[in-house]
Amino acid sequence: MKLPLICPEKECCRGKKDCTPGKGLPKIVLVGSPNVGKSSLFNALSGNYTVVSNYPGTSVEISRGKSKIGDKEYEIIDTPGMYSLLPVSEEERVSQRLLFDEKTFVCLHVVDARNLRRMLSFTLQLLEARLPLILVLNMMDEAEERGIEIDIQELSRSLKIPVVGTVSSEGKGIEELKASIMEFTHEKSTREIDYGPEVEPYVSEIESLLGTTEETGISKRSLALLLLQGDRTALDFVYSPGEVYRRKREKSKGSETGFEECQKLAEIASIKAGIPLSYLFTLKRQELVNEIVEQVMEVQEKEKETGQETKTEKKKRETKKILLAENIDSVLTHPLLGIPVLFLVLYFGLYLFVGVFAAGTLVDFLENTVFGEHINPLVTTWFTSLVPYPTLQDLFVGEYGIFTQAVTYTIALILPIVGAFFLVFSIIEDAGYLPRLGLLLDGMFKKIGLSGRAVIPMVLGFGCSTMATMVTRTLETKRERLISTILLALAIPCSAQLGIILSILSGNPNGLIIWAGVILLEFAFIGYLAAKLLPGEAPTFILEMPPLRIPQLSNIAVKTYSRMHWYFLEVLPLFVLASVLIWIGRLTGLFALALKAMEYPTVWIGLPADAADIFLFGFFRRDFGAAGLYGMHDAGLLTGVQLVVAAVTLTLFMPCVAQFMMTIKERGFKTALAISGFIFPSAFLAGFIVNTLLKVLGVSL
Amino acid sequence: MIAENSHISLNPTLKTTTLSSMEPKKAGKIAHLETKNPGILQKLIAMGILPGMPVTLLRRSPSYFFEVDQTRYAVDREIANHIYVSY
Repeated sequence: MKLPLICPEKECCRGKKDCTPGKGLPKIVLVGSPNVGKSSLFNALSGNYTVVSNYPGTSVEISRGKSKIGDKEYEIIDTPGMYSLLPVSEEERVSQRLLFDEKTFVCLHVVDARNLRRMLSFTLQLLEARLPLILVLNMMDEAEERGIEIDIQELSRSLKIPVVGTVSSEGKGIEELKASIMEFTHEKSTREIDYGPEVEPYVSEIESLLGTTEETGISKRSLALLLLQGDRTALDFVYSPGEVYRRKREKSKGSETGFEECQKLAEIASIKAGIPLSYLFTLKRQELVNEIVEQVMEVQEKEKETGQETKTEKKKRETKKILLAENIDSVLTHPLLGIPVLFLVLYFGLYLFVGVFAAGTLVDFLENTVFGEHINPLVTTWFTSLVPYPTLQDLFVGEYGIFTQAVTYTIALILPIVGAFFLVFSIIEDAGYLPRLGLLLDGMFKKIGLSGRAVIPMVLGFGCSTMATMVTRTLETKRERLISTILLALAIPCSAQLGIILSILSGNPNGLIIWAGVILLEFAFIGYLAAKLLPGEAPTFILEMPPLRIPQLSNIAVKTYSRMHWYFLEVLPLFVLASVLIWIGRLTGLFALALKAMEYPTVWIGLPADAADIFLFGFFRRDFGAAGLYGMHDAGLLTGVQLVVAAVTLTLFMPCVAQFMMTIKERGFKTALAISGFIFPSAFLAGFIVNTLLKVLGVSL
Repeated sequence: MIAENSHISLNPTLKTTTLSSMEPKKAGKIAHLETKNPGILQKLIAMGILPGMPVTLLRRSPSYFFEVDQTRYAVDREIANHIYVSY
């Protein structure tokens, strides 16, 4: 999850097209697999804080920053994690495209030192692409803990590029890295890999079809290899109009024939090789990797280690630490024990901390005591005496005023709840719990057409569904992305809404159980239906499990802060906008009209007509509506049954404006509209059913 | 099938199965990958799950949880059936 950086304006930015710090400066690009410490290296180099996560597949955007190394300035670019130059997912494609398009001064390939054998293959690909390269062996401390020793000098000699060992989270090796960036010169001669007589002729043939590569980031040979593997980006790049190869193509053949020729060659080569070409290329590269790794890496066996008399205290502690992590891991991933652990996390983290403490105690104090008794009366008196116009008074300090409603709700209600949720989320995220949850729930998620990977956006959705909708980008298939977007919009309450509902219903355990049961049922039912009805293949599940780590306090604080920062930049303007719209609506009578219209479904599900404005607010923000519910509950206007019905309907109701906008951005306007068109009636229908059932059964809550 | 069986009886210490039917907690090596589904194959090789790598199955349920070299992965049965191991 990439969030806004905390930094001076115009010094860095994230994903914004108009913001280009360090534009025109020599570029340093960080590439590498997910979860190897690229972001923390980016922080160390650029001096900015960015969010660092302990789970793979969450960085969805490119970050840019500026840095001064020695007395030269550079633009630093952090990319979403990619495993190889041939992308599998959309985020990888983002990184790949960047390498195609940008002219880099130096590329830093960041690898996890423990996993050199697995990651060096990508280094070879980058060298094959003739990118100016420095290899950064990060997490050297964790490698040492596991008894892995790497001969850095030998590795550098073997690859003919600079190699630097770092521990980016502690800032170790950063000076050395800066020094090698300053001294860096692009060595053109590199070790070439021979892919064998069956395919080499085809590689050369495709290369000869290509024009010059002067204007592109990557070499002709690399491009030819990607074309042979049918890579979409490479195909687009070579055979789309307006690109660098246009002139050459016009001179010789039309783009169509070039494209077909290329595909034909790929087909023939694949048949000759007998196995898919990407497999063949990887195997050949791995041969060389294994050769290199044998030379430079030594692993001390754990058993041997324990037998040694000379073992130091430090080593003993390290072994203990690893053993403890293994034991915890085996509990977290246990098919039976894992479930109670999940419930414990939910109970303490979500219910007690976010629901009871933050949304109950803290909000009560802030809203009623701080704002209700002290700040608001003061501001209202002051404003009323200053501005004698009732209409303007209404806009700022009236019942739905910008100050009395928007600002009060934001600071007294949303801030503590969202903050508490993001704090909990950051802790479990940093500990590495989320992928384990994916492992645990994959089987169940398959029933609703999702894989265990979708657990990450779903859990994040309990914090902010808008953020989560953005993160669905990391899911592999279009079908999975669509199903998770629907479920996020429909059944996952965001933290502000959840906190308020938990706090309202906490005095009413039966009501809470009914509410949770109905939401869970609807979630499962709609997911099951979507999985049955939507065309496409069932998802497959493959996820890397990062090691369990003790979360670092500083990292958690920074993460929680920057997530809240992102949230508030998005929320407060919308709250203010809602206040202004309601004010205009009340002046023109449109608000009364809309309220009137909303009263029908409201009364239909057994609620008092006054509750209509909860749902009208829900159009602007779901949590805004929840806040209205809180107000009605406070005033004692609702019975137990009505409260549960209102909570159910509101949870299933339309997502907030921001999430709607994000859905349009990620899934397209039509899909977003269709999802909303489905949600509106289904929320009221569910409310109606719950109300009818409770009445028929004579339940009083 | 017969050839395979005789091969196993000749080498009782080394047998090749899919990851999904591998015995947990035993150390083995990845023998080869099933190549019929290009999507899954591509994912596996991109993540560095390759022939020759040391492999240990830690758990088969709720998902297949295994270690290749120094990294742990979780996969479903479908993918576990595409990985052949010998141990």
